[in-house]
Amino acid sequence: MIWRFISFKRLNAFENMAIDEAIFRENQRADSPPTLRFYSWSPPSVSLGYFQATSKEVNIEACRRYSVDIVRRPTGGKAVLHENDLTYAVITSECNQLFPTDILGTYKVISGCIAGGLSELGIEAEMEGDGRSCQDDSLKAACFSSPSRYELLVKKKKICGSAQLRSKGVFLQHGSILVDFDPLKTCALLLPQGSDQTLQVRKLRGSVTSIHEQVGASVSVENICHVIKKSFEKKLNIELVEGCLTAYEESLKLRLMNDKYMNDKWNMEGKVASDGRKNSD
Amino acid sequence: MKVFPDDLFYNREHAWVRVEGELATIGITDYAQEKLGEILAIELPEVDSYVERDEPFGTIESAKGVFELISPVSGAIVSVNEDILDDIGIVNSDPHDTGWMITLEMSDSEELDDLLDSREYHDFVLKEAESD
Repeated sequence: MIWRFISFKRLNAFENMAIDEAIFRENQRADSPPTLRFYSWSPPSVSLGYFQATSKEVNIEACRRYSVDIVRRPTGGKAVLHENDLTYAVITSECNQLFPTDILGTYKVISGCIAGGLSELGIEAEMEGDGRSCQDDSLKAACFSSPSRYELLVKKKKICGSAQLRSKGVFLQHGSILVDFDPLKTCALLLPQGSDQTLQVRKLRGSVTSIHEQVGASVSVENICHVIKKSFEKKLNIELVEGCLTAYEESLKLRLMNDKYMNDKWNMEGKVASDGRKNSD
Repeated sequence: MKVFPDDLFYNREHAWVRVEGELATIGITDYAQEKLGEILAIELPEVDSYVERDEPFGTIESAKGVFELISPVSGAIVSVNEDILDDIGIVNSDPHDTGWMITLEMSDSEELDDLLDSREYHDFVLKEAESD
């Protein structure tokens, strides 16, 4: 089977989310090929889960101070700081037989592909079997504080966190693979002001790891993309063919960027006037 | 296998409809809630807004992800179940009855002809479950 591969690009948070949703909507509308995409975030950004309350989960003032953009994802889950990470997105119809319609089964298949790539770098990542909930209320907003089932751990520390959106037989799963990790900045941006940051930094250090920490040296993002791409091809028995957005996806991306992802009402309140699914006050 | 009430219609996105005259009450099936796992949050449309058939009328989040709720019929929303907004657990515990989500005034009752009856929906989920 042939998949479309959209190669690594550094883009801002609003364009990144608009592209993922545009591909997702195009998949619902037409019988387009499954897509794998790699990207990172420039400037650094915090992404929030669909239902998260921005003012409760993010230190907005600290984000301004650090020039970090804030965007709400179309997917669920918790807040993530995207600075030294590689993000992947898989968008496909449920009908292609590669993924079970069972949601956790999809996480398992994609985690297996990422683990295969990390293994090429000498990192033996394992899937979280049971999921464990974060017992620390002050850390609950941060995605990497608590692995869910089939997310990837290395020596019990989380290295990749993922989130999903499903509708009309199509799913979008995107996730953040930590290339490097800065617990200090993560706490400064994702924790409420006044919380005991020293303690939380220590806890995050004990529960989160990164490719650089595991390899003990710098690994280029291009190299990480290469090994993960190869692993997807091998494990799913697919051919990834370099492609770009269709004209429909390009135009939808621009509309989604302007109307939704660059809209403060969406990012701060989760509401956009122009989208029937989200009503303005 | 679960039992799906005979007095409901179903779409392939696991939503059910109960019809009383021109009014259609909509929710998600027991099969759907079990697949989703514990539901954590829900967003529903406002009264008087209009919903199109096969388009999202709301969004739901479970521990597994975010899911759009796809409407089986078109119409104007006349009521929203405030009880599930206060206690979302009702959708998991009683999806076919008190866990209803919206009631709308149908704009085209012929859309019901395209929906599945309980027997057809039962066969549909059986097939889906087998493929997993």
